[in-house]
Amino acid sequence: MIRILSAVGLSVLLTSAASAQTTERDLAVVGRALSFLEGASGSDRTVAIVFDPASAAEAEALNAAMAGGLSAGRVTLNGQLVPLGQSVSGVDAAVFLGGAATDAGAVQAATSAGVMTVSTDMTCVQAGNCVMGVQSEPSVRIVVNGAAASSASVSFSTAFAMMVEEI
Amino acid sequence: MKNTLLYSAAALIATSAAANAQSIDYQVMGEMFGEPVTTGATGAPQRSTDVPATMIIITQDEIAQAPEYDIPGILRHYSGIDVARFSMGQGEVGIRSAASPYTPRLLVLVNGREVYLDSYGYTAWSTLPVNLDEIQQIEVVKGPQSALYGFNAVAGVINIITRDPAYGDFANATAEVGTNGYQQYRLSGGRALNDQIALRFSYGRTDGRDFDVEPDAIEAVSLRAGNPDFEREHFALGGSVKFTENVGLTFEYTQSEAEVLELTSIYSSAANAYDLTSYQGELGADTDFGYITLSAYRNESDITYSFGDLDGELTSFKLQDLIKIGSNDTLRFAVEFRTAETASFPDTTAGDLNYETLAFSGMWNHKFSNKLETTLAVRYDMVDWSRDGSPNPALYPYTQSDYDVSFEEFSYNAALVYKPEAGGTVRLSAARGIQAPTMFDMGFLLPVGTAVLIGDPNIQPSIVDNIELAYDRSLSNGVQLRTALFWQNTDDVKSSLGGAPDLFPPNAPLPAYRFGNRGESRLWGFEGSLAGMIGETVDWDLSYTYKSVEDDLTPFPTTTLTDFEGITPEHTVNAHLGWTSGRLSLDGYANYVSDTVMPFQPVFGAVASRDIDGHISFSGRASYELTDNLDLSLTAQNVNFGDGELTTPVYETEARYWVSLRANF
Repeated sequence: MIRILSAVGLSVLLTSAASAQTTERDLAVVGRALSFLEGASGSDRTVAIVFDPASAAEAEALNAAMAGGLSAGRVTLNGQLVPLGQSVSGVDAAVFLGGAATDAGAVQAATSAGVMTVSTDMTCVQAGNCVMGVQSEPSVRIVVNGAAASSASVSFSTAFAMMVEEI
Repeated sequence: MKNTLLYSAAALIATSAAANAQSIDYQVMGEMFGEPVTTGATGAPQRSTDVPATMIIITQDEIAQAPEYDIPGILRHYSGIDVARFSMGQGEVGIRSAASPYTPRLLVLVNGREVYLDSYGYTAWSTLPVNLDEIQQIEVVKGPQSALYGFNAVAGVINIITRDPAYGDFANATAEVGTNGYQQYRLSGGRALNDQIALRFSYGRTDGRDFDVEPDAIEAVSLRAGNPDFEREHFALGGSVKFTENVGLTFEYTQSEAEVLELTSIYSSAANAYDLTSYQGELGADTDFGYITLSAYRNESDITYSFGDLDGELTSFKLQDLIKIGSNDTLRFAVEFRTAETASFPDTTAGDLNYETLAFSGMWNHKFSNKLETTLAVRYDMVDWSRDGSPNPALYPYTQSDYDVSFEEFSYNAALVYKPEAGGTVRLSAARGIQAPTMFDMGFLLPVGTAVLIGDPNIQPSIVDNIELAYDRSLSNGVQLRTALFWQNTDDVKSSLGGAPDLFPPNAPLPAYRFGNRGESRLWGFEGSLAGMIGETVDWDLSYTYKSVEDDLTPFPTTTLTDFEGITPEHTVNAHLGWTSGRLSLDGYANYVSDTVMPFQPVFGAVASRDIDGHISFSGRASYELTDNLDLSLTAQNVNFGDGELTTPVYETEARYWVSLRANF
């Protein structure tokens, strides 16, 4: 019984952690991580917010946070709302929210198109769909999927690569 | 001392086209991870919670709010760090061990360059070419770190890193004026001229009337009367050139001068003048084969001790590759060559003393999972000493060939870092550090009456073994808990001469007070700290360190004045409470050091011990932001010390007050 309860508890914890909402703090971490992308120039970065209907409000909030440019370290983030189903291109990164992060086809399409795909849902990066998984609470965790990064032709500075989890 | 540094600096700016390209953006990485980052523990960049060593990283904000005028003063507020104030300009720093005059066991670096004076074997803190305002962070790595840093990193390492203009322009100017003639002026700035070139400069000057002297410290009384003021001045120019996105060059030139009343390694008083110059460059390339660096620096020292002049030069070259292989392994390989030359002291006719060192080192970090990782670092040093000329047989009991000495030493650091599900980080580590003989240890000679004080070319390196268990945790209320339990053993303790000769005619031309190895010393202890916030406006921290030292040395003071057991305080406690509201901030500090017994040598040969009572000091700082770029502060340091408190055997540390006006842009 104890084992069953423990398993249920652990599963609830993992589920809640995996599907946590993306916050402005998460966005700040993503923005700073973009500083360490090789090949990028200038300080402006366009970030697509890819959302499904259930996460529309969350997407609006993040986009509002980037209205007029959100300073994140040495880069400035500008948002672009992209409903799930539309193609993602011409951006520096794409943050997948809610059900969009579990839509493997949509994420893989963006990754294959050379976009640095990100989600706070760690199952996205663990499955190899997203290039990066980010959590800012309770402590910052950044996970990079090497295969997805290769698929997106994305690489990071050596110093950054040494400080994040790579799978 | 004249204000010559600014003029020579201006000339250098006009002729220099070089600059710097530091590979770590400390500020953005720190903001990203929500904690400081460092390369100080393994040579690889790491988050502070991942490092395989017990470290303190002191941030810009902590430095700015501290009620201190120099770096040793800042360090005294942290657990496991012993700071002894021997005079206004001589704050000595020990890590979990005695802070003796001319502490030889701690290695100090500024931007990766050793500022340790390896001809005598200590760090003259007053000569560091850096302003407090321009420091990005001070990294304190506790325990032996020879496998990464080489010789003399046995008690620990302090790595001072300045702000890098390649990652953001900055400029600040500070003027401080206070009691007892205290004045400090600091000017520093850095600017990226374009996407490729960035420059940084720093100028600082400090003046102040030195502390009063105990009346029975006969030599010090005389020296203090003739040299009542402490003075120091420095200039530094650095920068970077980015040739491509992945290849850059860094460089730095520094010059510093200081006139300081000090106690030497044998607790004798001296009035000394330092004139130090350094050159440093590093070429770095981020390649498919890792981050490869070729670095070099040269230190030139011209020191006038009250007992003679000492000129020395040190040149170091290092080639390193730092590479991550796969997802879980980081490796570092390095080869380092050092060559040093010191004029025979103080009789320059006896031939220069030289050494060359070739060292190979490596580090392997393996992540078993995101909860468990291990690090192993090793280093192998090969050292050859020689003397250029024949020492005078009327003074020296050694011939020129006696100084042809070679030794080889192995050092390591090994650690396991575990992050349990229950939270926090557990570190288990072991290390072996090497403290090498210095030129003074080997070849110093000073005639005193009908005897000589003399180094011994047969002296052996000291070996320091260390084991440590540490646990850090962020508690549910945001309070940061840090604890460590440590055990350390030093074999073949190197020592300056004692209070009596130990070699006599016919085995020597004159009675000789010799340097030498004097036995063994053991240490164990515990340190713990808590830090947190109360609401949005109050921050606090509290730390305690316990140390137990047991010496097994030749009897004090006959052949040694080394007394780790006597001069190491058993208990130290530090507390800080800060409050910020709007533009006003108030900070209060308390520091307790338990009683010690220190050697006391009022005149050469009259060696005794002096009891130093346990003491607590209170300091504070009030700061008000006049504008977004200008703040005014009042600092009260050691307010309860009044005209003087005996915290070391000769000089009385006094209360000091100053007003500071600081502009930041």
